[in-house]
Amino acid sequence: MSDETVDPVTLEVVRNGCAAVCEEMNATLIRTSYSPNVTERQDCSCALFDVDGRLAAQAETLPVHLGAMPFSVAAALEAHPPATLEPGDAVLLNDPYEGGAHLPDLTLVTPVFVDDDLVAFAANRAHHADVGGATAGSVGADATEIYEEGLRIPPVKLLAGGEERAAVYDIIERNVRTPEERRGDLRAQVAANETGVERARELVERYGRFEDVLDGDGRGAEDLPVVATVTIDGDAVTVDFAGTASQVDGPVNAVFAVTASATYYAVRAVTDPDIPPNAGCYRPVDVETPSGSLVDPEPPAAVVGGNLETSQRATDVVLGAFAEAVPERAVAAGQGTMNNVTFGGTDDGGDGGDAFAFYETQAGGFGAGSGGDGMDAVHVHMSNTLNTPAEVLETAYPLRVRRYELQPDTGGAGRHRGGLGLRRDIEVLMDAVCSLLADRQRHAPYGLAGGETGATGATYRLDGDDTRRLAAKSTHDLEAGDVVSLRTPGGGGYGDPTERDAPGRRRANSRPARARRRVAGVEVPNGQRLCRGAATAPPCRTATSRITSRIWRSDRPSRAPAGPSRRRTSTCTRCSPATGRSCTPTRSTPRRGRSAPASPRGR
Amino acid sequence: METRLAVDVGGTFTDLVAVVDGAVHVEKVASTPEEPDRAVVDGLEAVADRAPPASADYFAHGTTVATNAVLERSFAETALVTTAGFRDVLEIGRQDRPDIYELHGSKPDPVVPRDRRYEVDERVDARGEVVEPLDGDAVAALAEEIDADSVAVALLFAFENPDHEERVGESLRAAGVDSVSLSSSVLPEIREYERTLATALNAALRPTMDGYLGRLAAALDDADVAAPLRVMGSDGGVVRATDARERPVETLLSGPAAGVRGAAHVADRLDRPDALTMDMGGTSCDVSLVTDGEPLVTTEVTVGDYPVAVPTVDVHTVGAGGGSIARLDDGGALRVGPESAGADPGPVCYGRGGTEPTVTDAHCVLGRIDPAAFAGDVGGATEETAAALESLGDRLGVGPREAAAGVVRVAVADTARALRVVSVERGHDPREFSLVAFGGAGPLHAAAVAAEVGVPEVLVPRVAGVLSAFGLLVSDVTHETARSRVRPWDDVDAEDLERRFREFERAGADRVPDDLPVEHDRFLNVRYAGQSFDLRVPAPSPVDGAALSAVADRFHDRHAERYGHAASGEPLELVAVRIRTRGVVEPPDPAPPADGDADDAVRETRTVRFDADRETPVYDRGALPPGATVEGPAIVEGPDATTVVRPSDELAVADDGTLRIEVGR
Repeated sequence: MSDETVDPVTLEVVRNGCAAVCEEMNATLIRTSYSPNVTERQDCSCALFDVDGRLAAQAETLPVHLGAMPFSVAAALEAHPPATLEPGDAVLLNDPYEGGAHLPDLTLVTPVFVDDDLVAFAANRAHHADVGGATAGSVGADATEIYEEGLRIPPVKLLAGGEERAAVYDIIERNVRTPEERRGDLRAQVAANETGVERARELVERYGRFEDVLDGDGRGAEDLPVVATVTIDGDAVTVDFAGTASQVDGPVNAVFAVTASATYYAVRAVTDPDIPPNAGCYRPVDVETPSGSLVDPEPPAAVVGGNLETSQRATDVVLGAFAEAVPERAVAAGQGTMNNVTFGGTDDGGDGGDAFAFYETQAGGFGAGSGGDGMDAVHVHMSNTLNTPAEVLETAYPLRVRRYELQPDTGGAGRHRGGLGLRRDIEVLMDAVCSLLADRQRHAPYGLAGGETGATGATYRLDGDDTRRLAAKSTHDLEAGDVVSLRTPGGGGYGDPTERDAPGRRRANSRPARARRRVAGVEVPNGQRLCRGAATAPPCRTATSRITSRIWRSDRPSRAPAGPSRRRTSTCTRCSPATGRSCTPTRSTPRRGRSAPASPRGR
Repeated sequence: METRLAVDVGGTFTDLVAVVDGAVHVEKVASTPEEPDRAVVDGLEAVADRAPPASADYFAHGTTVATNAVLERSFAETALVTTAGFRDVLEIGRQDRPDIYELHGSKPDPVVPRDRRYEVDERVDARGEVVEPLDGDAVAALAEEIDADSVAVALLFAFENPDHEERVGESLRAAGVDSVSLSSSVLPEIREYERTLATALNAALRPTMDGYLGRLAAALDDADVAAPLRVMGSDGGVVRATDARERPVETLLSGPAAGVRGAAHVADRLDRPDALTMDMGGTSCDVSLVTDGEPLVTTEVTVGDYPVAVPTVDVHTVGAGGGSIARLDDGGALRVGPESAGADPGPVCYGRGGTEPTVTDAHCVLGRIDPAAFAGDVGGATEETAAALESLGDRLGVGPREAAAGVVRVAVADTARALRVVSVERGHDPREFSLVAFGGAGPLHAAAVAAEVGVPEVLVPRVAGVLSAFGLLVSDVTHETARSRVRPWDDVDAEDLERRFREFERAGADRVPDDLPVEHDRFLNVRYAGQSFDLRVPAPSPVDGAALSAVADRFHDRHAERYGHAASGEPLELVAVRIRTRGVVEPPDPAPPADGDADDAVRETRTVRFDADRETPVYDRGALPPGATVEGPAIVEGPDATTVVRPSDELAVADDGTLRIEVGR
């Protein structure tokens, strides 16, 4: 394991309820083993580890086992890196010089996968009554070399892809005095871990975890994962951004306050948006962020776009993580960007005029939900600013708005369709500089419950007949007469498009033109390519649903959070002073060093 | 004989006030929502013995036809013509969403659906210069293509240069469209969304309003009403029926505006130019602010989710009325409204089958209203009323009377909060205001509300139950014209401005009846260059260089007054030119009530719950003479409203019969 691995299921996720899982593993081990040493003396231990090999929870049994087991897991992963592990694998070892303690203690490490993602490890250790060697019982007091103490097993797969590896069993059985009992105890160990795998998997599935990406930081086109794990425990909500990309050079780092603000918004929106301001306090919300990350950068990282863009993605992932917990409140992703645009120059286009600078943000589609279609052309989530009326804009600046219209068919199809993005074309009447800061131009807003993604956004420079696409985050020198054409993303759809009531939940006369197209669209079988209409929109996109719970992927380059994770606790954004709770996020001590996973070697 | 008639149509009742040579006659008839004009005729018949319709010299009307059409979205089949590239402005709006935390929100449906929104190639710039000419042939072809009952035309910068809009309008009329609304006429002001929406709403309402007022005019004709039909506009001025038929969007708050006008008039006659008003009916309470005798006018009201930017009396509405239902929310807190028992079945005490406790029922249980008063209908329902509040009390863990007191307290608190919104939150100290209470349930709550807000005095007008109708008789006939003209202040040409004002004055004078004396109020909307929002500053007549600098000074003063700071060195910007033409109406002068002895006005004494049970005299309002004073507690029963005077209050009857309550603690 190293820092370069995408972050795992976090300690927080696994810790809650994991102890119970370990108890259950232990019970399985004891009930199904053959040897009295395990069944009666209970000389065994069970534990769960996070994907970094850090101890997450354990059955409170033998201290001598428990403290040493992390080394076993580390050794197993050293020998069998996560990328080589598959569901159904289990790694056995007992070599004291490679993860073991003494030879009779056989440790079995089983990876836990959810879908295709490695999320955790279940491990147990049982003291076998005999592992060969000079003395029956393999605990001879007169041994001077380890060779006299029994069979040494380096980390080796006992199971591969769910199949027992007969050769490994054979080797063990031919080197011990009580082979049937060994076989039985080994199978009990396998069963115990299976129990752990099942329960851990359920546990992980109960916690909402959601990942999405920013298109990039403007300095490169590299995806920047934003990950949120939401844990609901009674009244408390914990949102952990572990797994989010490290802070970046470009100006899209969101300081903790912004991340916390996005989180509070999302939590409030999915829980009880109608709660009256005086009705007492809101659910406590813990926000945890890896320091030095995109969502909690260290100075002097540039942050201007964090407030504008990353805050939106943070909201998207928190809402996405909540989607399973509160499906009736869930919505597909909205446009997920504020589409910032700035024009600057002088009002005569040269050095002599008065300087001007005009900034605005553009609306886009809102995500559809169980309740209905997403709103068209609104600011989503973290923004709700008004537009600049074209007439006001033109009165004040040497700019002319050429178009301001909805873009048909940009909302993701679904039983309820996503909101439409818009198009706004602005002509510069003087030479000017234009800066763009937008996102969701490569990665589309996600759909939910079978709904399709919304259309991605785009920006073009129109110069007569010449149309050139501009990067989402970029700055350009424009000549008088150039038109910047902003196309904003649509919202994701909700539910199976074939279940849509034509012409949809909206009033029949509200949008017949689009309704017709939409009806035509859903006639195409699911999974086929759906043509998405207008020439201005990206021509075609596949109608496959996205992966919504990617935890760990061995085939992806990864970015790890750099420093220790911060845990900060706050209550709400609008609690009354009378409750005595603070509204200000307060830092508590760093949770633990993320850069220091359990040492792989004990010597 | 001078006869003035006013009819205000509400959701439940149609109120009629007739002033015949100073004698005030009041009638209430049931509204007929399907055909509101029928109730108007019913009302005229009801009062005909005292005020023969044929003798009417003046007839004014308050209507909810436009309001209801918007609330129910029952619009005519309407088309919209916009500048190419801007047909979705109506639907995009200002790109904000109504409720930031609502993930499942929706925008109001656009007034005109997309398939009936058309574009024409043309462009006018911010200075009114034509950048791209209008193609007459293309427009004529489009006019032929459009198939709609009513068409709105809203082109960019039409307020600077209406030529293109007017030409589109001509083509439409030539193609047979009778109802054409131009943005340069409906709301000639900057901001394309607000202007387009107002124009679209106007177009969508026109056929309905035109039909309604046409029918009403015919019915009045049949009833031999010779006086011309006039209609209350949202801004508190009465307009000619022909104007209302052309510009129905200006009547959206017709009824509430009339009420505020009436309240302002009553307060002003008692030398109280600054007043808060409170109109509590069956389902809601409208509150508003009057300064210097004038209702506050705003261009930021929302009707049925649509932001309507036409000048409107600034009325703030809360869902607390006599019929509002009391319930416990999920958290176990007592809430009142916004659900209402309405007129049918109405509160439990009406005995018409209502089962849920309302504010009115709470007053019955507390002894403030005599349930027997409703006995005329179906025998009252004293026991059922007590049972409803007992059941509410059980859930709260208190007795029925404590529950009733709680319900009233919540209704009072809701109303008080609304009054704070229009006073304290807008920089007005309520201690310097009087509270004019009207509507059927207003005088029941006014003293308690005033005490909570800190208003020292409550005024209950003589016609408290029908004050909106009375307000129709005291309002000037007005016509307001405004046009956006965004210019740096230094570029403003005084001569050009004067010419424009005179043009407006001529046009305005045509819009008010010949028989009324005409006055013009001139205004300029001004701001600091770079600001988005402006202030309306009175302008002198005639306008010259000196007058302009006086306007500038006044702007700085107003800015300081309103926002606490001014920057006299900063450049100003002219935003709009505005004129209000008034046909001045001489308000009726109702004869004072008869003299007599207050003690003779006592009908009975009954036990009423205040802080404790009190033996309380109940007065007949009609028998209370001017100058009478009464120490609280007291109940004053009028034909259309009951007034509560709490133990710490003191009541005095003004010369015109208005009840003046000095509010105790």
